[in-house]
Amino acid sequence: MSSKLLIIIPAYNEADNIEQVVDNLIENYPQYDYVIINDGSRDKTPVICKNKRYRYIDMPINVGLTDGVQTGMMYAYEHGYEYALQFDGDGQHDPKYIEKMVEAMSECDICVGSRFVDQKKPGGLRMLGSNIIQATIKLTTGKNIKDPTSGMRMFNRATMKAMARNADYGPEPDTLAHLIRSGAVVKEIQVEMHDRTAGESYLNFSRSIKYMMHMCFSIVFIQWCRKKIKLKGGIKK
Amino acid sequence: MSLVLRFALVIVSFLVLVFVLKKIRRSQLYIDDAIYWIVSAFLLLIISIFPQIAIFASELLDIQSPANFVFLFMIFLVLIKLFNMAIELSVQKHRLNRLVQKLALMKDEEDHLKEDR
Repeated sequence: MSSKLLIIIPAYNEADNIEQVVDNLIENYPQYDYVIINDGSRDKTPVICKNKRYRYIDMPINVGLTDGVQTGMMYAYEHGYEYALQFDGDGQHDPKYIEKMVEAMSECDICVGSRFVDQKKPGGLRMLGSNIIQATIKLTTGKNIKDPTSGMRMFNRATMKAMARNADYGPEPDTLAHLIRSGAVVKEIQVEMHDRTAGESYLNFSRSIKYMMHMCFSIVFIQWCRKKIKLKGGIKK
Repeated sequence: MSLVLRFALVIVSFLVLVFVLKKIRRSQLYIDDAIYWIVSAFLLLIISIFPQIAIFASELLDIQSPANFVFLFMIFLVLIKLFNMAIELSVQKHRLNRLVQKLALMKDEEDHLKEDR
């Protein structure tokens, strides 16, 4: 372990993107440790990781994003990292904002790399889902998270532990809402996100609708009766 | 409840009992998991032999036909079983994924030790 931060890069069939993303991290941001979670990819992802001697964990079967990221959280927690960052393997996230996010961690438990802190959220159908999830989180927790669906989130040890130890803590907005209700302090930092460099996004129209419905239902009904956890060593409000 | 339905129920519940016991003998079903099937086949058998139970219950619940009570009762049993199986499945999913995670982390650790040597 050489840095305080571990970047967790879940990768499922990301052979077209992973090289660019990880090479960028290694060349320009050597101060951060990273680990790729190869979630049972069926393409060349594991071959690339091996040949380029990337730091990677190989899941023997595909377990899905939730358990893949959780493996990264377990790794980060067990190896004593101060912070863990969930970072997309498809080139959407820009590592130049990581420094600001680390700085922000002194006053929060979870830092979200948000597209809409200073910038206004574009209207239209595309952001409708994001708006609805934002509204449900506001309704249930009283906190206004401007970009709840952002996949760039940094966790401190208290929230990392929660993510690593418990079942059903997916790297999704409903977990964010649950952690807020459990007393976690969330801060958003303005970031820019890029379009995918290659390949098609997992979220098409019908999947987006399904995702949004699933999240809203989970936040409104399920999180409400979920047992709150105790965050030890988190930021005091 | 018609005689035909009673007769059918007796045969079906008897067959279920035989089938379940056969599967246990061949160790294809844990005894723990078989208890539900044996008990519900037994209940069905009792209802078909003593239709008075179904008649009494249907009058009590204001159900027109005793046969409807039998259906309601069976649907209820099936729903409970279904829900329990959903729970079981979630537990299995969780355990499988935990195993995979542990395996992946242990393999990583091992590779590291090899490199250090």
